[in-house]
Amino acid sequence: MTTVVALYNIKGGVGKTSAAVNLAWTAADEGARVLLWDLDPQGAASYLLRIKPKVRGGGAKLVRGKSDPAALLKGSDHEGLDLLPADFSYRNMDLVLDATKRPTRGLARVLAPLADDYDYVFLDCPPAISLASESIFVAADVLLVPLIPSPLSLRTYEQLQRFVATEVAKPRPRILAFFSMADGRRALHRSVIAELEASEGVLPTAIPAASDVERMATQRRALAQFAPRGRAARAYVQLWTELRGELSG
Amino acid sequence: MEALRTQLLLPAGVGASQAADRLAGHVALVTQRAHTIDRTFWDTFDGRLHSAGLALIDSSSRVALVDATTYAERAAGDLARGQRRLLAAELPAAALREALEPIVEMRALTPITRVRSRMLPVNVLDELGKIVVRLYAEEPTALPGGDAKLVLRPRLQVVGVRGYDADFERLVLLLTGELDLESAQRPVQDDAVQATGGVVGGVSSKLRVTLAPGERADAAAVTIMRRLLETIEANLPGAIADVDSEYLHDLRVAVRRSRALQRELRGVFSREPLRVFRDNFRDLQVLTGPVRDLDVQLLEFGDLTATLSPSVAADVAPLRALLERRLFVERQKMVRGLRADRTRVLLDNWRDFLDALVDAPEGDRPDAARPVADVAGERIGKVYRRMVSMGRAIDEHSPHEALHDLRKKGKELRYLLEFFASLYPSDVVKPMVSTLKGLQDVLGRFQDREVQADALRALGDDIAAIEGGAAALMAMGVLVERLTAEQEQARAHFDERFAQFAAKPQRRLVKQTFG
Repeated sequence: MTTVVALYNIKGGVGKTSAAVNLAWTAADEGARVLLWDLDPQGAASYLLRIKPKVRGGGAKLVRGKSDPAALLKGSDHEGLDLLPADFSYRNMDLVLDATKRPTRGLARVLAPLADDYDYVFLDCPPAISLASESIFVAADVLLVPLIPSPLSLRTYEQLQRFVATEVAKPRPRILAFFSMADGRRALHRSVIAELEASEGVLPTAIPAASDVERMATQRRALAQFAPRGRAARAYVQLWTELRGELSG
Repeated sequence: MEALRTQLLLPAGVGASQAADRLAGHVALVTQRAHTIDRTFWDTFDGRLHSAGLALIDSSSRVALVDATTYAERAAGDLARGQRRLLAAELPAAALREALEPIVEMRALTPITRVRSRMLPVNVLDELGKIVVRLYAEEPTALPGGDAKLVLRPRLQVVGVRGYDADFERLVLLLTGELDLESAQRPVQDDAVQATGGVVGGVSSKLRVTLAPGERADAAAVTIMRRLLETIEANLPGAIADVDSEYLHDLRVAVRRSRALQRELRGVFSREPLRVFRDNFRDLQVLTGPVRDLDVQLLEFGDLTATLSPSVAADVAPLRALLERRLFVERQKMVRGLRADRTRVLLDNWRDFLDALVDAPEGDRPDAARPVADVAGERIGKVYRRMVSMGRAIDEHSPHEALHDLRKKGKELRYLLEFFASLYPSDVVKPMVSTLKGLQDVLGRFQDREVQADALRALGDDIAAIEGGAAALMAMGVLVERLTAEQEQARAHFDERFAQFAAKPQRRLVKQTFG
């Protein structure tokens, strides 16, 4: 059975795309069949995997069921990892979904025919809280939230938890979080992590703010391809192990 | 959705690295580190997986059922270290067993060839530096055992990446056009089987001979008999080693067919040597009979007891154990006989006899030089008419033996039609075989149920004497009753099937075709 993991945060620039690409790659490395759907119109995940951010027929046809999603998939440089690329038209996703019969089911409908082909589907989500987000909440089994260890980002995490608990119909996705871009030299980061690391739903491994992660944009590759022994790559492997444990548990 | 794939042959002597170098001038590519894979391919003796377009590959104690050309995996399981024989029915009830069982049935899987390949992965890139096609340059070597190594023709596997079909097609066009590579017509394991002296696709026990109507009858008989002798010899080692029950079955069918031809075409053989060979072939059939009967009883045991209630089915367990013990004892006797010199001498002498037959004096061989179509036609017509008259004489009061004798005759006719099918129009032979088969099915069921019931009755005393024997005996009573009911059902279908077999248009057709 496929497990859908949405890398989601209301805020942007928190490491969603890096996490989506590296976790998907790591899962595929373990032999799982993995799909990554780049839902962000900026197409950063597609860019990192060297795949053109273009979907034939655009997002509207896809969401309306007029395109076969299987025909739009692109194999990545990892044999076990496919990508449903980004498309600039995804910027209008709210409008497209709104025009469909059951808007919040829109993304789940796209994924349904692919369910048997993959063990895990990762969604790299755009930052926002909108109709598209609600559709993500319905499609996902787990919302995986990267948190920068700062009070402000914790506040938005709490907002998200409240929103899902009160506004999203059952079955609601599980919410898990991990610290992202953590800088051990900064006291604030250290204290926020210390305060929350044992909390329910927070995965123990923090992804460090490492230059390797930034280099992904110039390398256009997953960390495992060019810096597999670096701190960041190892942290993603550890994070995936923890996440997999949560998903199977 | 499976990736696009094709396999091309590299020119002999062109290694993997040279192939990559040649390609480098045409497309952007990155060569990966070469690695070696060691695969043992398994199949049944008659190549059932090969026929189904599949291969079973064992590497590092893991066994995977894959597509024979793309190697896409269908199911996988574990293999015990050192295991050399695998029966689908003995696998754990999981995906591999489910996939294998309907294809291989009762046949054992054994290693057929081992291939060690040096693989050089080469990635073809697009303008973004993304992999769009994967290539695997393969330098395969067949390992027939010991230190022997047979270098096979190098290959290039071309594997598409999802969503990049156009790049795949462009590359294949380049490889087959400009670089002049030819498509591989068969997978590497077939190359290895052939190189090591095996039979690609397995050893068939089917009788496939093509005869010319005007050829001498003795020459035609030799052609058929040689093919049957090949089948006997091919199956003999497996029957002795008890690899699976079908070796013995196929051996016995070939012996029975040989005996049928010895009898039906007796006029092409010298009388005295033929008498000796017929006796010896009969002995061979008698030697192997008890084991085959027990094999059949055990093979059908599951079906036979499947419809019993669970408690009654449990009661028959001692019966199975008894059959297995008997099989063990009978098998020892049979193996001694098959290994004995007299079996080897019989087969050698028979071959020598066949080799010399056409040139032998024709004094006591009146049919030897006649056209085979004439001789065969006479026999087919005669046996058919004999069956018609035997069948017509059967009514509800006829003893069982009358139906058994008709079945025996039917087998004779079936064999004649198989031996000489190539001499006659298929629109005559096919419907004749079809109605004959319909009749034989009923007669076979009639006789088999009787044989099974008799066999169970014969075990009664032994079963009664063992622990739990009383319950088993009662369960056997249920089985015997059911077998008898099924025998009666088969009997009830006889008239209808015989009427089709002996219908006037069919009789007319037989007369026109065979005289």
